[in-house]
Amino acid sequence: MDFLVGWIAIVPSYATPLLLASLGLIVCERAGILNLGAEGLMAVGAMTGAIAVLSGADPWAALAAGAAAGIALAFLFGIATVVMRADHTLSGLAVVAVGLGLTGVIGRPYMQKTFPGIASFGEMFGIDRSSALGRIVAVQDPVTLAMPFLVVLLWWWLMRSGSGLRLRAVGENPAAADVAGIDVQVAQFGAVLVSGLLCGLAGAYLCVATSHVWVEGMIAARGWVAVALVIFARWNPARALAGAIVFGSADALVPRLQAIGADIPVYLAMMLPYLLTLLVLVASSMAGRASGEPSFLGRIYLRQDKH
Amino acid sequence: MLDAAFLVRRQAPGLVLSGFCYAGGLAFGLAVSAALLVQAGVPADALVDEFLIATFLTSDGLAQTVTAALPLVLVGLASAVAMRVRFWNIGVEGQLWLGAVAATWLGIAGGGPDGLRLPSMLLLSAAMGAAWIAVPLVLKLRFGVSEVISTLLLGSVAFLLVQHLLFGAWRDPATGFPVTAAFAQAARFGALGWGQLHAGLYAVLVVAALVWFALEHTRIGFYADAVGLNARAARANGLPVTGTIVGLVLLSGALSGLAGMTIVAGTEHRLNQSVGSGYLFSAIVIAYLARARPLWVVVVAVMLGAVFTAGSVLKVFYGISEGMIVLVQGTVLISILMAQFFSTYSLSRPG
Repeated sequence: MDFLVGWIAIVPSYATPLLLASLGLIVCERAGILNLGAEGLMAVGAMTGAIAVLSGADPWAALAAGAAAGIALAFLFGIATVVMRADHTLSGLAVVAVGLGLTGVIGRPYMQKTFPGIASFGEMFGIDRSSALGRIVAVQDPVTLAMPFLVVLLWWWLMRSGSGLRLRAVGENPAAADVAGIDVQVAQFGAVLVSGLLCGLAGAYLCVATSHVWVEGMIAARGWVAVALVIFARWNPARALAGAIVFGSADALVPRLQAIGADIPVYLAMMLPYLLTLLVLVASSMAGRASGEPSFLGRIYLRQDKH
Repeated sequence: MLDAAFLVRRQAPGLVLSGFCYAGGLAFGLAVSAALLVQAGVPADALVDEFLIATFLTSDGLAQTVTAALPLVLVGLASAVAMRVRFWNIGVEGQLWLGAVAATWLGIAGGGPDGLRLPSMLLLSAAMGAAWIAVPLVLKLRFGVSEVISTLLLGSVAFLLVQHLLFGAWRDPATGFPVTAAFAQAARFGALGWGQLHAGLYAVLVVAALVWFALEHTRIGFYADAVGLNARAARANGLPVTGTIVGLVLLSGALSGLAGMTIVAGTEHRLNQSVGSGYLFSAIVIAYLARARPLWVVVVAVMLGAVFTAGSVLKVFYGISEGMIVLVQGTVLISILMAQFFSTYSLSRPG
């Protein structure tokens, strides 16, 4: 019971970065731009967040700085894919390389330095930790609390609003959207920047709110898990929430088992989230045509291709 | 807005134009990388010293560059053969780790006649690399799972397996560090007496020559290009599409596995946590810059070997992280990708 409560309590902090990143990718890919750069965007977000806090910024300002760094790198990705119509897969991989490389070169002096993060509800309101519920609520923070609202908001915007419909039209059939008067490139570039914002925020959250320390390579393929999560979620924000909780639980299991001193092969147990992701991908792929993948995802639209 | 000027895809961009864009992108990417390095604290005049003179124009430096290029040639070929059939092998590092693990197992366990040790390490590491990529291959062919994600995730799994071994059964009993015991002499490539260069050179040259011959002078290369350009058309014309994909993708894994073996048997003589790092993007960048052509892969790999050599020097003298190498690779890659805009498309204003 004690183990279960401790586990449930930390799941949101593991699920939040995955959810933020996959929501960003959903927006981007709904506009037809395949974004494999999440790992790099999250890396610069995490490092920028750490540098901001270590330079004396408020943790909330640090989250904003991380998001801004994600936007900056996404801008490069947008120039490559939306403006210069480069191959999405290779551009995404280049963004990962630039992001990981930048953090290695710039972030070196900021490695392994712990810092205070965002205050949890327990610290803010002095919640009584004697009950199970109290223990769970006390370790949450405003960002995790905001997640369900963000999911609802994004779902409503994508699926129910006029501008969301226009964005999806661009990803499904850019030629038709073009004829209907939608500026395809502006919509796509905006979507790319949103993915930068949310992935940067995801990385900054991981660093500033969860680990309270920055180390090189701390994203540890979570960006790629987010990419897979989007497929699992069938490009739907509501399903992404469910997926993030499943993946977050797997991710949180190992540190939890270590915390109670369980004698498990740690590195083998750490494979669990990756293997789970693979399994889920297989299951999602077997769904076939119902996968919900935007029809024009990863392809390059030119007006000459209009029929 | 952006389409006010009409973009039109060129039917067949001329060789001069493509070459010019490629060179321009490369030059721009290198210039940006140089500026980033200067910004990070490397004096500008030291860049020429470290990247050109100390890597190609001194005997020690050239030996170091060639040694560093050996595994790079293999991973570059690995990425290239998969790219030819449009299979994104983003898990080169994972297959390399498995190859290194297989080689290490034979390297420290011993047994069998000494003369057979290196050949068996070569075979087993190639087999393990191929086995590791077989999983994403089956998942893609059978279920349509994107190989980009599956190969990458299995790379993370492979690294965790290595850590499991290094922090467990294979930990060096003498020191307690997470590295294996050193290999027996019979399990090491002999030194060639020029810097750190080792007999793995011959293995790499033979393998590269075989891949070059297979892709450029047999029908395999033709099949691969047909599949890569349009798999459905190739199938309609009766070409062995699935066989070509399976063969070349398994070859890709085997080459990555061999790269892992070359590193542990050639330079490290043991398995540690860093032998496989930095090869993922190297493989992609080499294959892309070389346009997936085996001969060019060798040339680009040697160039990148110089960057690796310079990177280790910069790390010692200027405290620049290995991340620098990845940053240079990413910058050059995206720069060339963007420069191709000018050769792939032409602008025409709507009448």
